[in-house]
Amino acid sequence: MIEFKNVSVTYRGGVKALKNLTVTIEDGEFVVIVGLSGAGKSTMLRAMNGLVKATEGSILVNGTEVVGAKGRRLREVRKQIGMIFQTFNLATRTTVLNNVLMGRLAHVPAWRSTLGLWPAEDKERAFLALDRVGILEKAYVRASDLSGGQQQRVGIARALAQDPAVVLADEPVAALDPVTSHQVMGDLQTINEDLGITTLVNLHFLDLARTYGRRIIGLRAGELVFDGPIEEVDDETFREIYGRAVTPDDLLHEGAEVE
Amino acid sequence: MTTTEGPRPGDREIVPPRKPPRPWWYWAVAAAVIAFTVYSGRRVGFSLTSLKDLPSNPLWEKFWPPEWDWVFANAIDPLIETFQIAILATLVGCLLALPVSFAMSRLTSHNTYTYFGSKAIMNLIRTIPDLFWAKLFVTAIGIGAFAGTLGLIIFSLSVMVKLFSETIDAADPGPLEAAEAAGGTHIASVKVGVLPEVLPNYVAYALYVFELNIRASVVLGLVGAGGVGRVLEAQRQFFQFDRIMGIVILLFVVVFTLEQISVAIRRRLV
Repeated sequence: MIEFKNVSVTYRGGVKALKNLTVTIEDGEFVVIVGLSGAGKSTMLRAMNGLVKATEGSILVNGTEVVGAKGRRLREVRKQIGMIFQTFNLATRTTVLNNVLMGRLAHVPAWRSTLGLWPAEDKERAFLALDRVGILEKAYVRASDLSGGQQQRVGIARALAQDPAVVLADEPVAALDPVTSHQVMGDLQTINEDLGITTLVNLHFLDLARTYGRRIIGLRAGELVFDGPIEEVDDETFREIYGRAVTPDDLLHEGAEVE
Repeated sequence: MTTTEGPRPGDREIVPPRKPPRPWWYWAVAAAVIAFTVYSGRRVGFSLTSLKDLPSNPLWEKFWPPEWDWVFANAIDPLIETFQIAILATLVGCLLALPVSFAMSRLTSHNTYTYFGSKAIMNLIRTIPDLFWAKLFVTAIGIGAFAGTLGLIIFSLSVMVKLFSETIDAADPGPLEAAEAAGGTHIASVKVGVLPEVLPNYVAYALYVFELNIRASVVLGLVGAGGVGRVLEAQRQFFQFDRIMGIVILLFVVVFTLEQISVAIRRRLV
């Protein structure tokens, strides 16, 4: 369970990215966070694993306080949270396997990972994670030799190899074409349903949000403006979140019907 | 109709914008540069007239023909020593440079203390000239190849750290962020997230440092730090210019060959 209590994030320079956010996410939920760029979606996700420091409030991940956590305690929280990035964040000049093994960093003593002496069990877990996203045969390929869609699957495999309780996906399909986007969103959905991993996804395409989200959180200028099940979401909701009418640019499929 | 339909001179009247005037300090800076160059020339006693006798200097005839028999009998072994000094200094210097470079990069430094601390130490080391380092080691541990090697290790370290830490600065922060988000310790995250991205550059720089070291180890020999440079200096003191010529030609061939190999490998790397 993830509990945000009155969380605010103020960046150096005074930009308030998140304002007094209070939200609770139950185990096993699939939550899509929507909002314009700059609305605080990314900040919200990154505050959960301490990549961004919350300046006020409290964030509990399975009972552990993230705000102010450092060193070993922070790594313990991060161990439970897999993250998937918009630009994949792979080490492109090394193998797919080495990238997936990054997900095992918190499970293996630092001297072993630093020397590259990964235990057999952790390699096994990496292979299993690759198999789950269907690119096991690419294990020894250089990451830069993969297509964008395949690279994002390596990103998903890396998060899975962590054996996480939570997966955070920060605009996971923004750099992908529509067909690949659906495959990647499908992968995330399967992981959520099969493994019961709590999944939070930032999206700015509303049609994707509607197809995959079970619960929608809407942010606008750092504030929570909507929180409810997908059934309660209509065009008026999105208008409210975006502060303007929905345009074809907000949809992944150009020319798709705006209801 | 031709395919060229662009505007041609005389098509219509246009008024181009006025070219902006040169800033007021333009000529002042130019005059200052010229004045300082003239002043510097006077100070160092630069004069072409003192060079006019150089081509007819009888010294030149003593360079030719090279005394090959002597060179092959006496210079080959010191030349191998030079090569060994360069290899050893490159390996040790570049290995030491690896952690220092990561400490000196804003992207990967552990905290501000390691960042500024390592920067301060490296600047201190760089402030002392390489030749002076070699002389210090000669004084401290005596004339010989080991003093030269130590001098070159310092030289390799400072060159490598400068080049490599800037490459790390420019590396993609994404993989590092991902590794830290997965709960990796700082050092482990740098190893898996940053090192693979900059490793080809590192090897290329190490080869470049090796090229520099081959040349530098000859120079260091002049101050008594071993290798073929010491032979070169001894023969100069005895005015054995035909032997010097032989050594120089030999050095040219060796240095040129090694550089070509190194350049060929480096091109494949990055």
